[in-house]
Amino acid sequence: MELFRALALFAESPVEESARVAEALELGAPPASSEYTETFLFQLYPYASVYLGAEGMMGGEARDRVAGFWRALSLTPPAEPDHLSLMLALYAELVEREERDASASERWRHARKAFLWEHLLSWLPVYLRKLDEIAAPFYRRWGETLKAALAEEIEALGQPQQLPLALRATATLADPREQGTEEFLQSLLAPARSGMIITRADLVRAGRRLGLGLRLGERKFILTAYFNQNSQAILEWLSAEAARWQQHHRQSQETLGTIAAAWLEKSARAAKLLEEL
Amino acid sequence: MSVGKLNERVSALRREVEARGETFYPGPSRIHLAMFPPKERWDDWVELESRAWPEREERRYMLVPTTCFNCEAACGLLAYVDKESLQVRKFEGNPEHPGSRGRNCAKGPATLNQITDPDRILYPLKRAGRRGMGKWVQVSWDEVLNELASRIRKAILEDRRGEIMYHVGRPGEDGFTERILAAWGVDGHNSHTNICSSSSRAGYQFWMGLDRPSPDHANADVIFLISAHLESGHYFNPHAQRIIEAKARGARLIVFDTRLSNTATHADYWVSPYPGSEAAIVLAIANYLIQNDLYNREFVRRWWNWEEYMAVERPEAETTFENFELVLKELYASYTFEFAAQEAKVDARVIEEIARIVSQAGTRFSSHNWRSASSGNRGGWSVARALFMLNALLGAVATEGGVFPNAWNKFVPKPIYTPPHPQMWNEMTWPGEYPLSMNEMSFLLPQLLKDGRGRIDTYFTRVYNPVWTNPDGFSWIEVLTDERLVGCHVALTPVWNETSYFADYVLPMGLGSERHDIHSYETHDAQWLGFRQPVLRAVRERMGERLRDTRDVNPGEVWEENEFWLELTWRIDPDGSLGIRQYAESKARPGERLSVDEYYAYIFENSIPGLPERAAKENLTPLEFMRRYGAFEIERKIGALYEQAVPAEELEDTRTDRFGRVYTRASKPPSTNVVPVPTIDPDSEGRRMVGVDVDGLTLRGFPTPSGRLEFYSRTLADWGWPEWSTPVYIKSHVHPDNLEEDQTVLISTFRLAMQIHTRSANAKWLNEIAHTNPLWLHPTHAARLGVETGDLVRVETETGYFVVRAWVTEGIKPGIVACSHHMGRWKLSDEGERQMMATVRLNHEGHEWGIRRERGVEPYRSDDADTSRIWWTDVGVHQNLTFPVHPDPISGMHCWHQAVRVRRAEAGDSYGDIHVDTKKSREAYQRWLAMTRPADRFSPDGTRRPYWLLRPLKPAREFYKLPAEAEPVGVE
Repeated sequence: MELFRALALFAESPVEESARVAEALELGAPPASSEYTETFLFQLYPYASVYLGAEGMMGGEARDRVAGFWRALSLTPPAEPDHLSLMLALYAELVEREERDASASERWRHARKAFLWEHLLSWLPVYLRKLDEIAAPFYRRWGETLKAALAEEIEALGQPQQLPLALRATATLADPREQGTEEFLQSLLAPARSGMIITRADLVRAGRRLGLGLRLGERKFILTAYFNQNSQAILEWLSAEAARWQQHHRQSQETLGTIAAAWLEKSARAAKLLEEL
Repeated sequence: MSVGKLNERVSALRREVEARGETFYPGPSRIHLAMFPPKERWDDWVELESRAWPEREERRYMLVPTTCFNCEAACGLLAYVDKESLQVRKFEGNPEHPGSRGRNCAKGPATLNQITDPDRILYPLKRAGRRGMGKWVQVSWDEVLNELASRIRKAILEDRRGEIMYHVGRPGEDGFTERILAAWGVDGHNSHTNICSSSSRAGYQFWMGLDRPSPDHANADVIFLISAHLESGHYFNPHAQRIIEAKARGARLIVFDTRLSNTATHADYWVSPYPGSEAAIVLAIANYLIQNDLYNREFVRRWWNWEEYMAVERPEAETTFENFELVLKELYASYTFEFAAQEAKVDARVIEEIARIVSQAGTRFSSHNWRSASSGNRGGWSVARALFMLNALLGAVATEGGVFPNAWNKFVPKPIYTPPHPQMWNEMTWPGEYPLSMNEMSFLLPQLLKDGRGRIDTYFTRVYNPVWTNPDGFSWIEVLTDERLVGCHVALTPVWNETSYFADYVLPMGLGSERHDIHSYETHDAQWLGFRQPVLRAVRERMGERLRDTRDVNPGEVWEENEFWLELTWRIDPDGSLGIRQYAESKARPGERLSVDEYYAYIFENSIPGLPERAAKENLTPLEFMRRYGAFEIERKIGALYEQAVPAEELEDTRTDRFGRVYTRASKPPSTNVVPVPTIDPDSEGRRMVGVDVDGLTLRGFPTPSGRLEFYSRTLADWGWPEWSTPVYIKSHVHPDNLEEDQTVLISTFRLAMQIHTRSANAKWLNEIAHTNPLWLHPTHAARLGVETGDLVRVETETGYFVVRAWVTEGIKPGIVACSHHMGRWKLSDEGERQMMATVRLNHEGHEWGIRRERGVEPYRSDDADTSRIWWTDVGVHQNLTFPVHPDPISGMHCWHQAVRVRRAEAGDSYGDIHVDTKKSREAYQRWLAMTRPADRFSPDGTRRPYWLLRPLKPAREFYKLPAEAEPVGVE
């Protein structure tokens, strides 16, 4: 489906060609490079592994799973198979192969559905929710269109048989009393464990609201600095975030079913632990 | 708007944009390395000026493709030419190139260093004073051309054509110069191949008729390398990227290398064999497949020449496949894992584990050997031969993920003229002692001259540096400085090299972005053509100018070879009376010299299937298309040609012999692909061999005398080597049996990944990364010698010694030492690359020669500010000078490994010292010569060489006949 390939274009840095595609998709004037950088390089890294991996980082087992999907189709996985652009382009390809290859259309449909649920819907709705909160208007419109396109796919393909593998067995938020502060902070920033996405922008906002001094650095560094200044205040803020995310996940349950439930479970556990602390 | 509508709209837009020939999606993906400027913007590409940072200053570029000349892989480059200054600002990859696909190694972008090198040669030079004295005067091209043309014309008229020789290092082209020599009627082509890849080629040729493997690494499940192919070697960049793709897919990589090379670090299995034992291990794996019936029985039955083997060698047994299988089991039974382990000094269990993996690869088994073990050892050709046997056992031949014969993945287009075969045989390049040599016996030239076998009147060295690259460099100096042996030496080179110091003329030729050539290489299962061009000429032409001479755009008076050779050919025969001029004459404008535009336009219009149509789609002529994109893919997925049925029109009055060879009266259909393939003898009634009968069908088969894969080489059996007529393990000259107790093996064949033999002393980025070649020593060995990293050691060879620094590392087999051949450049005076050549004193007394380093490199002022920032002084040691020649009696390859004694340096020894006695070199030559089985005694049919074997620039068939008995061997 061409639309996914066209949308994929925008998770990479804008080039001259972006303008005509943006116009065709009614997204308005294409974003400036700085908006792209802010959105995808500083706030919301467009890699599935960041949101599905227990480490909250690029690569690892979560990326290997996506690579495995390529291999299962006898395709050579690219260096970063879990980059959103490549995933959307692969999805477009799967839809087209199903149309083209009449003799094996069942098989391609099966692959398409598996990829949609296992590798896209397992994290992308959560990601797009955050994007909608913090991104510039162009990317918000882009996210809306992508969401609408995904919704049509859900409509066309139906619900999955089982929960995506990535959501079946991941650790939850670490308890600092048992696993130490380091692990706790790391797991807060791993969406697959905390059930929420905390971006750099969120942390800046929190600091401003709580009157905490912002020490520029990676997110864990910022969080550590906040804890050192006023641990109670930042815990309360995190707790409220977790509650907010529970709300989001609950709202998604109707369309995403067990996936939303799994995310809800993660954020509920996080909220409980944060309250205890 | 609904999702469906949006989808339709964007699809319609894509179709509309693509219909205009433009790119809709910029690249397959623009993530990371896959990001390239879309091709429709190559005329006007905007980038920010890096030097202006943080200011955002825009620079406009014209992007022009060319082909890298820094190794044989011929990867595509894209020159970024500043539209304001018309200078190249950088080189990146050409995404339109099917082999390299936009990716390059460090050597490609370093072309920029080479073209801006402050020490490069810009004008034709002629020696002033004695040859080798280092005094030069600038001369005009006219003077050079007239002098050379008159010398060559005289030699031709006096029937001294055998005294004209062209000796090439890196060819970087496909047959242009061979045809120039053929036009002169001269069998004067000489190459570097016998110090490079001959042995491996021989191993492959004895199996499949063609001398290079084309592994389909990308689709293999098991990749077996006897090489450091991820970092160096032929087509390493195109192959390396495909090997890594296969690995990412889950393929397993097995690497044999005595050193822990960069390639070995990426392997699933790294085996460090005793040098020369590789064939023993590979045959042990073959034996495992054979004894356990794990080979592809049907493939072996259909495609091996077992019937011929059984009929000739086992006449007592009935010629059945079952009997052959029994014989096969018996032949290889002694190659046990334990035997291999003992020879290789590795664990038998590891070999067994690898054998199991190989046995499971099926037809997705790609293997590769090019230099490495083949080039190191006497009998090294048996390594490639044993390796290909694994493919032949598995049936992994021209299958997806298997190994193809190179000619099937290569396209050499028919040129505008094809001069006839020379009417002569050159004994100086193809001496009678080496009737089966893969290539010219190039590195023996000094010894052959000293033998008194002849002299050379005019000797061209072209991008070749035998004094430095070849073994026994001092013997080269001895003959190059003797004007009775070499009348005139012309060095065609873009940069100073050690050989050019001993030239009469030094003629500056263009670098990769300053010359024309075409190439096609077996990088994967496809056929493509790459075009190298002077990028500034292409720029000026895009701007509307018409140029006829590349010197108009090149720096100084740097020329390019096509024009040089055409002009020289013209002047040799100005009135056309010798019949030579016609091959340099324009067809469009008779009476005028052929231009490069006409030469290439003819090829692109007439010889490349699909190119004219593809170009027309963009309203371009084929030449314009190639100047714009630099490469064209002719065909993909060639597949197993041997399985193709011969079409009925080629079967006329056929005869099938007892081994299933099918001969026909029908003539060969014309083809515009003139890639060299063996010429198989016709049957006794003059029918040509067209294929083989396999189970009642006439199939194409292989270009071997049997038409099948030759497990049994009748050629080797008939030409005096029956003991090696089937794949066997041959003990190397450095086998422990052949070493004295205090000797060890020196491996000298490996490269540094980012250097270019003798051609990167002009690439500052590469030199900063790698500029020395210490001696690799295992810690146990170092402890025994009492040396540590940085200590000076003396390495004694048969003919002398060199002094080098030790590098103690666990990355080498204990007891073996290694030193890269890429370093140790020197100069005698100011001429030379000041960033990478040490200044030395050459000492000479009788046959005793020596080199002492006077100073290393140091910063200097030039128009490149970086030369004043040179921080290194060491440029390595020139070890090849201390090696005598070791010509393999069959392949003719120089066997590089050395039996050496390593000890602490003596008092008075200084880093870089070299000492050699050329009398001992001569004795070594004679010892190795005695191992040969010369044609005059062993030829089965009175010829000098089996006609079917490949030979660059083949003479006419009648000149294959041995001279009359009365004449001594070796004299024309």
